[in-house]
Amino acid sequence: MIANAILTACTAVALTITYSLYRRMFFKKKWDPRGKHCYVTGGSAGAGLAIAKLLVRKGAHVSIVARNQERLDTALKELETVRQSPDQTIKAYSYSIDNASGAAEALEAACQAHDGRCPDAQFFVAGTSRPGHFVEQSEESLKKGMEETYWCQAWSALAAVRRMVRDQAKGKIVFVSSVLGYMSIVGYSTYSPGKFATRGLAETLQSELMLYDIDVHIAFPGTIYSPGYEVENQTKPKVTLKIEESDGGAQPDAVAQGILKGVQNGDFHITYDFLLNVFRGSTRGSSPGNNFFMDSIYELIGRIALPFWRMSVDNTVRAHSEEHRQYLRDKGLIA
Amino acid sequence: MFFKKKWDPRGKHCYVTGGSAGAGLAIAKLLVRKGAHVSIVARNQERLDTALKELETVRQSPDQTIKAYSYSIDNASGAAEALEAACQAHDGRCPDAQFFVAGTSRPGHFVEQSEESLKKGMEETYWCQAWSALAAVRRMVRDQAKGKIVFVSSVLGYMSIVGYSTYSPGKFATRGLAETLQSELMLYDIDVHIAFPGTIYSPGYEVENQTKPKVTLKIEESDGGAQPDAVAQGILKGNNFFMDSIYELIGRIALPFWRMSVDNTVRAHSEEHRQYLRDKGLIA
Repeated sequence: MIANAILTACTAVALTITYSLYRRMFFKKKWDPRGKHCYVTGGSAGAGLAIAKLLVRKGAHVSIVARNQERLDTALKELETVRQSPDQTIKAYSYSIDNASGAAEALEAACQAHDGRCPDAQFFVAGTSRPGHFVEQSEESLKKGMEETYWCQAWSALAAVRRMVRDQAKGKIVFVSSVLGYMSIVGYSTYSPGKFATRGLAETLQSELMLYDIDVHIAFPGTIYSPGYEVENQTKPKVTLKIEESDGGAQPDAVAQGILKGVQNGDFHITYDFLLNVFRGSTRGSSPGNNFFMDSIYELIGRIALPFWRMSVDNTVRAHSEEHRQYLRDKGLIA
Repeated sequence: MFFKKKWDPRGKHCYVTGGSAGAGLAIAKLLVRKGAHVSIVARNQERLDTALKELETVRQSPDQTIKAYSYSIDNASGAAEALEAACQAHDGRCPDAQFFVAGTSRPGHFVEQSEESLKKGMEETYWCQAWSALAAVRRMVRDQAKGKIVFVSSVLGYMSIVGYSTYSPGKFATRGLAETLQSELMLYDIDVHIAFPGTIYSPGYEVENQTKPKVTLKIEESDGGAQPDAVAQGILKGNNFFMDSIYELIGRIALPFWRMSVDNTVRAHSEEHRQYLRDKGLIA
């Protein structure tokens, strides 16, 4: 334990020195949304709408994309209430982005209001959570889960990158994964794989898009108190609710602020509260960190505290086995 | 809390997808050598026949049931049928351990991908294991059977670099599923494992290098790899709690430097890559 602490202290010192050298090489100017064109998928509700609102408030031109025209109309009215200047271009586009061509068409439409130019930043916030017991899933439900977590962002990323490379345009793309892209627990077999996949894509692109000077960011929110949260809780298994009962959550506006802060600071992995920071610190592995010193603290805290958290989660699951067996009998899945 | 009795394959029924070549065949061979009953699953009957002959060369006892099944497991029903077939030779009982080794790597530049190629990538990395997991769990729960399931992800399920947009997402997704199930299957006393191999010198490696981008090859040029037999031994063995703390510390110091070196290689390749894009007509 003491040896560990000494080793960690030495590491922290060595890293801080390295970090100042590193930082001098890669000094990051704060990114300012003012006057920039920002594109937001899933932008008519929840975290997406909150991000769009915040960007409008900060003086950006904003395009939101979603499927439902009615919800887009309502969202647009809300965005107008925080307009800062008559010069801001604030638009809403109704498209289904659940395939590559739909995503490309949506982006094309948004570019038209800007002389065909690519947005400066694209936020892929589209996504839905429908948890449930794995044993009750089917080919259809697992595929749907991947559509609603991963593909709904991957197609937008493909459209963005192909267009930006074609136009030799620089800019940012921002994925939204989840704390369930860092770890997972019972009930999320329809959700976690897609959120991990998003992370895998972001990790690949963070490296690959250096070829084109395109920045990649990925946010890992926890629970968000949004319309999506209501949907989520309709199917969430009892044992999952039990494990999460002492968890907090955040309002969409707070999530939006956290995500935008991370983008402005140039962070690759973006987390915005203590617990999320601890998960990020302990699982990011070789991915670029945000602040060597603080990340080491989070990692150390995680290394000590997370095994106890894990043990508690495991015990809750095991304790639920009996009740779950009855549930399976009622559902006719076992005799 | 931390005492783990070593799991012995002897006399147990082990089910291996992707079992006719590469790492899958190597795992199957090792299990036969250790006295297990082994069922291998793959698509191609010819390769299965060849593989079966190879498994027979390491048979330990006449009591071992060693069989090969030709099935396409790229959808939920195919995976369930394959498992059903393997169970029939064991009085309908579920295997004691299932190894999901099926998978293919086809790297390439993201900017050259399409809806088709990205979906194919997910099929060949994630769905090819997820359907087997679904079949395994549904059956084991129905029969109230205990046992193990073993996923095979990749070091590219821990991190990623340029060129793997068709591969890494699916390998990360496999990890996400394994993480969920490691927790969830405690409800049923089913153990979950997930292996993260690096480069494996197998037929799959030849396929992989056909499409791998130049910059990716450059980054990997000093990497080693492992023979399928070594990979199989590593997967069957597993890890050590004490060594993990050492590995973590080393990683924390060394990985940022490795990362910096990888990033520099990518940036240095930008110019050459622009010419490549011009040649392909993707930019003016």
